[in-house]
Amino acid sequence: MVSKGVDYSKILKRYDVEAQNETSPEAIAKKMLPTDAVFKKVAEAVLYMKFKEVGPAVTEALKTKKALDIINDGLVAGMEVVAKLYADHIYYLPEIMMAAKTMEIGIALAEKQIPGGRETKGLVVMHAAEGDPHDIGKNIAAVMMRSSGYTVIDMGKDVAVTDVVAEVAKSKPMLVTGTALMTTTMTAFPAAAEKLRNKNITIPFMAAGGAVNRDFAESFDLGIYSEKAPQTPPIADKIKAGYDWRKIRAEWETIVGGV
Amino acid sequence: MAYKDADEMVFGTAKSPVSYGFGIKVGAGRVIPELNYAPRPGSEKDPARLRKEYVDYISKDALNRAVTLGFPDLQLETEWVSQMGDPKMSRPTVEGQKEITEKFHEEYGINTAVRHTIPDQREAEEGLRTGMKGKHSYPEHLFKCAEVACEAGADVLSCETMGGKELADYAVTNGDITAFLYGVGYLGSIDMEYVWSEFVNIAKKNKSVAGGDTNCSGANVSMFMAGGYLDNDVQRTFSAVTRAISAARTLVAWEAGASGPDKDCGYEGPIAKAIAGKPCAQEGKNCQCAHADLQGNLMAQITDLWSNESVEYHPEFGGTSVQCWLGSLGYEVALMNTAIATGQEKTLRDLYMTTDRVRGPEGYILAYDNAYKIGKAIADNGNDIYLRSKAAALEAAKIIKGGYDSKELQLTNKQKDVLLNVIKELEALPAEEAKFVEYADKKYKELVPNYDKKNYGL
Repeated sequence: MVSKGVDYSKILKRYDVEAQNETSPEAIAKKMLPTDAVFKKVAEAVLYMKFKEVGPAVTEALKTKKALDIINDGLVAGMEVVAKLYADHIYYLPEIMMAAKTMEIGIALAEKQIPGGRETKGLVVMHAAEGDPHDIGKNIAAVMMRSSGYTVIDMGKDVAVTDVVAEVAKSKPMLVTGTALMTTTMTAFPAAAEKLRNKNITIPFMAAGGAVNRDFAESFDLGIYSEKAPQTPPIADKIKAGYDWRKIRAEWETIVGGV
Repeated sequence: MAYKDADEMVFGTAKSPVSYGFGIKVGAGRVIPELNYAPRPGSEKDPARLRKEYVDYISKDALNRAVTLGFPDLQLETEWVSQMGDPKMSRPTVEGQKEITEKFHEEYGINTAVRHTIPDQREAEEGLRTGMKGKHSYPEHLFKCAEVACEAGADVLSCETMGGKELADYAVTNGDITAFLYGVGYLGSIDMEYVWSEFVNIAKKNKSVAGGDTNCSGANVSMFMAGGYLDNDVQRTFSAVTRAISAARTLVAWEAGASGPDKDCGYEGPIAKAIAGKPCAQEGKNCQCAHADLQGNLMAQITDLWSNESVEYHPEFGGTSVQCWLGSLGYEVALMNTAIATGQEKTLRDLYMTTDRVRGPEGYILAYDNAYKIGKAIADNGNDIYLRSKAAALEAAKIIKGGYDSKELQLTNKQKDVLLNVIKELEALPAEEAKFVEYADKKYKELVPNYDKKNYGL
């Protein structure tokens, strides 16, 4: 069936094997983890996705450290190492998801010690287009946004245009996102953006998902593009810094560069 | 097992061929091109525009090109856009496609048929079964779509059903093979029996053929996210095992009375065909308009219908997109049929298979000899939907490990680590269905927000 002596690697190549990054998570972590022993223990719980150890680590840390510092210098610091490992193809999606959940367990515990709760970076409304039952990309992006300190209103999938507009008018987010896997459902995005403009709402409308390309996302006013979930937080950071949808479009490559 | 050994399986021939439409015979000694397409955004706005797009533009262009190039057969596949859930939107298109395929058959003698793949818009959080009163009544709509399609003239009825998707999504994003086994292998199989028993009744009543399903919503999500050599979301060892599980689930449509052909995007087709001998549709090298994968040649190895998956209707230099991709499909099919006519089909089959065999774990387990072994693991466990899904998963995982250990198949360190964890996890699962269900139900009702066992009659 398979001829012996044929070098199939010369016909089609295995770039995944040839170019794999053999650096260990520990080697990257060594350079990036906090030096303070208490913060390091908290960060390591996130980095190595230890659901059961993050609670005790945070509780122990609260005896000597401020809650906000534990979040920023421990939990978020651990997640930053995870992001680096993901970018370097050492960690993959499941590790991102599990580390984010571990971080959220820790944040929930630490936040109880902060009067009035932790300040959010901003509010974002996320949904999958009307008629579209596929929302896995939106769910991944939502985890990444929460991990980055944003508050997310997740409206789910197959969300009617009118419901999206009503939610945005009510909750006044800094950004609304929509994902679509089918070209026939993505037409909901310009329709929703037009209704928002009619209400004098001018926040960026991020269009994303398998069916959407940059050309389409930028074909209607308010529209901005995200090619993949990890690009959403850096784009949101720029909106928080005061960028409007036109400026996001103009500097898009720079904003998402390397992500 | 429908075949006495793997070598008996070849493209163009199935143990149980199926005839329908205007002269189409699938699995009867000849591979048939199946063209799938999507209307341009905006054409879904009203019934007249949608019908014009599907019938006067897409179908007519395709049929004209088939005759222009001398293709003897053409099956069209209309995957309904969500708006076609409303009969006012769908009926004119179904009727129009029936008329135009008949017209070309009568005028030129070309064998034609149309497969209608209806949308499963059911949502776990709103209820998967009729009477669960979800906000859109999607469960009721699903069966209504089947009725409308068959009444209006569908030659083949198909669907990409969504049972177990809530767990499959969780499984893929969290690398949890047990969640996939429970969601797709177990709950998905229950949902398939529920849905396909009804589809088969509807098709029979209207003299349509109940074709088959695909685990597009599960194993294809897994494969899509595992992607190619530059992608970094899901490990291909994981996605290969999810594919094996999906075969045990996709088979249920045929067990419920569907006759084939199954759906092109069901890459589990070689496994299902090995067990049941019913014709299968596949896609690969000629579906680059829709997506890329690492087994573009291999998937042609035992196919009976060869598909382009889907292409949006638009102009290209060589005509419209449907005409160009039909040309690509039709010439590939002509090569296969030449191989059959000259007695060289097994040589071509092996060339297709060998080209992609060791390019990744997904292609490796779908190579027809390995697919046959996974099929046997399923068949050996009969109707026990848990044990046969688990057996398929373990067999696939061990085939990959065997390929790696024998140095036939390369894996990255990460792919290997994930594979070993998958084997360990599967081997630790209970030996009995009841204990597994109790364990999985308890675990996933905490972890998967939309999971509700009532959706599966449990």
